[in-house]
Amino acid sequence: MSDGDDKKHPGELPPEEPAAEENREESRAQSEYPDAAPKPEAGKAGEASDTPDTGKTQKAEENPDARGSSDASDSPEKQGQADRQEEGPPEPSGESSSRTGRQRLAQAVWPPRVTRAQLIVALLLFVLGLGLAIQVRSTSENSSLRGARQEDLVRILDELDDRTKRLEDEKQNLEGQRTELENSSDQAEEARKQTRQKARQLGVLAGTVGAQGPGIELTVTDPGKAVEADMLLDAVQELRAAGAEAIEINNVRVVASTYFSDSPGGVRVDGHKISQPYRFQVIGKPQDLEPALNIPGGVVQTLRKEQADASVSASKEIVVNALRSVKRPDYARSSSR
Amino acid sequence: MIAVLGLIVGVVAGLVVRPVVPTLVEPYLPIAVVAALDAVFGGLRAMLDGIFDDKVFVVSFLSNVVVAALIVFLGDKLGVGAQLSTGVVVVLGIRIFSNAAAIRRHVFRA
Repeated sequence: MSDGDDKKHPGELPPEEPAAEENREESRAQSEYPDAAPKPEAGKAGEASDTPDTGKTQKAEENPDARGSSDASDSPEKQGQADRQEEGPPEPSGESSSRTGRQRLAQAVWPPRVTRAQLIVALLLFVLGLGLAIQVRSTSENSSLRGARQEDLVRILDELDDRTKRLEDEKQNLEGQRTELENSSDQAEEARKQTRQKARQLGVLAGTVGAQGPGIELTVTDPGKAVEADMLLDAVQELRAAGAEAIEINNVRVVASTYFSDSPGGVRVDGHKISQPYRFQVIGKPQDLEPALNIPGGVVQTLRKEQADASVSASKEIVVNALRSVKRPDYARSSSR
Repeated sequence: MIAVLGLIVGVVAGLVVRPVVPTLVEPYLPIAVVAALDAVFGGLRAMLDGIFDDKVFVVSFLSNVVVAALIVFLGDKLGVGAQLSTGVVVVLGIRIFSNAAAIRRHVFRA
């Protein structure tokens, strides 16, 4: 490097040199200048002048006039850059006498010679190629993060954190909604179940569905046709008082609106004419129903007094199959919402 | 010729071997590569000028790389790493362009 500095020196301080010397030296320095850039390369041009010395001096001597005049005015550092650009063209012409750059290139490229210079340059270029390939590869393969600077990375990380937080919040929100919906659908299912159950219970009471269970069977035979509607009504009342839940008389379901009326040769229940023997299918607790009918002065005794015969038998499985269609009330409206 | 072979071999080796770059060096690699490119263009120009010298080339290559990495390192320490590396790339880019222009004049005479 010190060598290069020495050589470069005359180029930078031209006025102090003798005029004749100056032209020669400076034209050399100037022609070498482009490589003597202010950076690390600076030494190159100066040092390089050592090796191809013969060629250089020859060149410099050959056209000192053509270059010297323009170079003298260009000598200050400031104009170095301008020189660089302007100086390009004259050079090939100046070197044309010895060898052109093209010839040098061809000579360097084709017959491959193994010299120290070539090997060293090859090594450095190998390193360059390696670095280039590594960099290109890492840039292309790992998106933009690999080459990113620290502050950029920090910013990206922050953004990601924010985003994660937002998404986490959203997730919690959605999970809450899901739980809520699940609960509510569970509740709805439960409510539906209860409603169905209630509908069945009410259906039993209203006579719209069949019923079965333990109960009794009351059979009233009336050969003398002495039994009238009020007696059957008494029997029904008695049964209800004893807790009967579903009652059917000769395939007519007895419900809240059931009425009894007399008719010749029998009784009308809800307008259906029925005749003896009157068969009551009653679902309820047999231990309550049976005594209720048999008590002294009760239904059975009263019927017997009228020459009718009543027999009560308990059963574990009474089936009440007769149904009533539901009539929609015309006037009564539910007062509860 | 051998130099060109060296470059090709380097690129191929880098692509095939996939060496892992140490994290410490990683931020400086791109700048170092650009600086080395600058040195190579300077060397090529010097060769065309007939003033090429291997010693100078080696020194300029290495010092280019080291200085470029140093500037970026310093910039990182000072908190202006991004700007400074941009500046280095710009400067080196200008140098590469001017060298390329000289090379072009040699090769194409235009």
